[in-house]
Amino acid sequence: MISHKPQTDFTHPIIRSYSRRKILKLAGAGAVAYTGSLATACSNRSSSSTSDVPIKIGVLLPYSGIYATLGDSISAGLEMYLDQLGYRAGGRNVQIVAEDTEMKPDIAQQKARKLIEQDKVDLVAGIVSTGVLYGLREYFHNNKKLLICANAGGNKISRDMKSPYIWRSSFSNWQPNWPLGLWAYHNVGNKVFMSAPDYGAGHNMVDAFAHSFQSAGGTILGKQFTPFPSMGDPAPFITEIRKSNPSMVFCFYSGSAAVAFVKAYDEFGLSKDIPLVCSGFAVEEDVLPAQGSAALGAISGLHWALLLDNETNRKFITAYKDRTNVDANVFAVQGYDTGRIISNILDEVQGDTSATSRMLESLHDVSFSSPRGPFKLDPKSQNPTQHVYVREVKEIEGKLHNVVIEDLGEFTDPGDNSLG
Amino acid sequence: MNDLIVQSINSIVFSMLLFIMAAGLSLIFGHMNFINLAHGSFYVLGGYIGYTMISKIGSYWVALLIVPILVGLVGATIEFLFLRRLYGKHRHLEQVLFTMGLALITADIIRSNWGTYVVTVKTPLLLDGSISILDSQFPLYRLVVIGIGLTIAVVLWILMQRTRLGIILRAGVFDKNLVSESGINIQVIFTGIFGLGSALAALAGVIGAPLHSLYPGLQFEILVLTLAVVIVGGLGSLQGAFFGSLLIGIADTFGKALLPEISLFLIFALMAIVLLAKPMGLFGAQSN
Repeated sequence: MISHKPQTDFTHPIIRSYSRRKILKLAGAGAVAYTGSLATACSNRSSSSTSDVPIKIGVLLPYSGIYATLGDSISAGLEMYLDQLGYRAGGRNVQIVAEDTEMKPDIAQQKARKLIEQDKVDLVAGIVSTGVLYGLREYFHNNKKLLICANAGGNKISRDMKSPYIWRSSFSNWQPNWPLGLWAYHNVGNKVFMSAPDYGAGHNMVDAFAHSFQSAGGTILGKQFTPFPSMGDPAPFITEIRKSNPSMVFCFYSGSAAVAFVKAYDEFGLSKDIPLVCSGFAVEEDVLPAQGSAALGAISGLHWALLLDNETNRKFITAYKDRTNVDANVFAVQGYDTGRIISNILDEVQGDTSATSRMLESLHDVSFSSPRGPFKLDPKSQNPTQHVYVREVKEIEGKLHNVVIEDLGEFTDPGDNSLG
Repeated sequence: MNDLIVQSINSIVFSMLLFIMAAGLSLIFGHMNFINLAHGSFYVLGGYIGYTMISKIGSYWVALLIVPILVGLVGATIEFLFLRRLYGKHRHLEQVLFTMGLALITADIIRSNWGTYVVTVKTPLLLDGSISILDSQFPLYRLVVIGIGLTIAVVLWILMQRTRLGIILRAGVFDKNLVSESGINIQVIFTGIFGLGSALAALAGVIGAPLHSLYPGLQFEILVLTLAVVIVGGLGSLQGAFFGSLLIGIADTFGKALLPEISLFLIFALMAIVLLAKPMGLFGAQSN
């Protein structure tokens, strides 16, 4: 959980105006700080000189519902990066205005309008769910507003639904899974049963894995698409999987569904006989403590791992743990890198956020060393080019972690559906 | 064949969890004519308090005993302070608004106390194994859930059919005024029913925690299923809650096994069919 320390500094640059949390915050120790930051925001708005007016970054994330942890982690990563810059970029102060999408496309639509039309934010970042991203695409495209997607991996946004105004700092759903399918065929087994939630991301991930796995010569014994957002009791699904007697199971789940699935997979005894190969989110650091030993041995593909050995990552995970008291996860990394990309853009235009075309231009050659390794934005897919790692859940000093067992190299989304 | 048997056991496990929830909601619905959308909140509250208690004192069984009593007292207090101001024939909208508000407040209290990470309660050590059913490994704890569910069904049945309190409760479903005019303090009965209903929800929460974990949003998921059970079974009927749970549990499990993409839809289709055939639910009182 992210701790909300009472702020005595009245220039605190984050406004969270989603209402339910506001009530809690007012009731709690943060009340003084909250009204303080509101007051600062109001006085800033009335200021006349542009250089004094802070740049506003709108943040659209789920802070409630089953992906609340993802929203919290992305927020924490983003805030941490901006905090390291003293909330300054492009020669101006930077301020965050956050809204809760509740993971619902219609609510996200309202909140996006509120941020852009009422709060007059300069650009927007966030978005966890593919459904929400697809729903917002037209609005951002038509209004020529920049959106940096910090999670939702829907392939279409790098392909036929591409917009010059929407760039991704996270991944495409194709990205970690296509390389994993190929690797799994050569290293794990040749008959797979696949299980994923029945929504855009679930289908994308299954298709990508299936494409490379089948091209290599593997057989798909069955696919199972489970209710989303919640799968309810996972027992019936697990029983169906066992019936097909595969040599491995591929799954993609995230949040509470990942915990339910992986635990039941172990309780019903499948983990002993059938290796579980999954999209990295299913055993990521946010769910691993709850899964416990049930996740031991699970193999997954992802663009980051907590113990990934590079200097940026070592610094990042230490700073993140100091700040939040929990281990970092891939979502926090994506939030952190989003902060970096945004500050890059703002520096490039010297804080002149009206120069939209120059801001978009600057995204074409973003390149830096991220906690995930070498990172650059690919102008064709408007999505990162990044390494994909095969990881295995192992116990290290009494705690479970994803340990990198192979670096599969650099991958870029193909930008079309030719590879699944 | 083996899978059919294993899936049937799966469905009964899930049904029993639903039954413990639905029995409480049905009591409150049927007897108090009160729509309680906060019932799922008592479930998660039970789960989270149980989680804390288990990690502090290390005993699942103590939590199983104490948490329902604690949450039951919370429920009774809420009834005493607030709900009794909302009783009446045409006040369902106010009840819905109030209990919805209660559910949202509970969600935020849980968020600020326990955070948004998924938490799991470890299966009690004694039951942390599995037994072999027809070559398939089946978790022991899930079988115990069936036992607990059946025990609660029997205890509640005795309470309703064989005790004076049960007679009063059953009479209340048909005619509250008559009960009240017979010199029975209906206010006290209401407080007790709401407390009992909340306690049952919390009990389900503690039992369900090792099965389904705890996470933000769970309370509304479980509420929707429980409402479906109570509507299918009929308001205020213990048999209704029991057989309604079985029906929904079976529909859910076999829906997931055979047609996973439309499994949630199947539950509501079943509900619609039952309502077309029997508008008051399978065991619903004909009057009201």
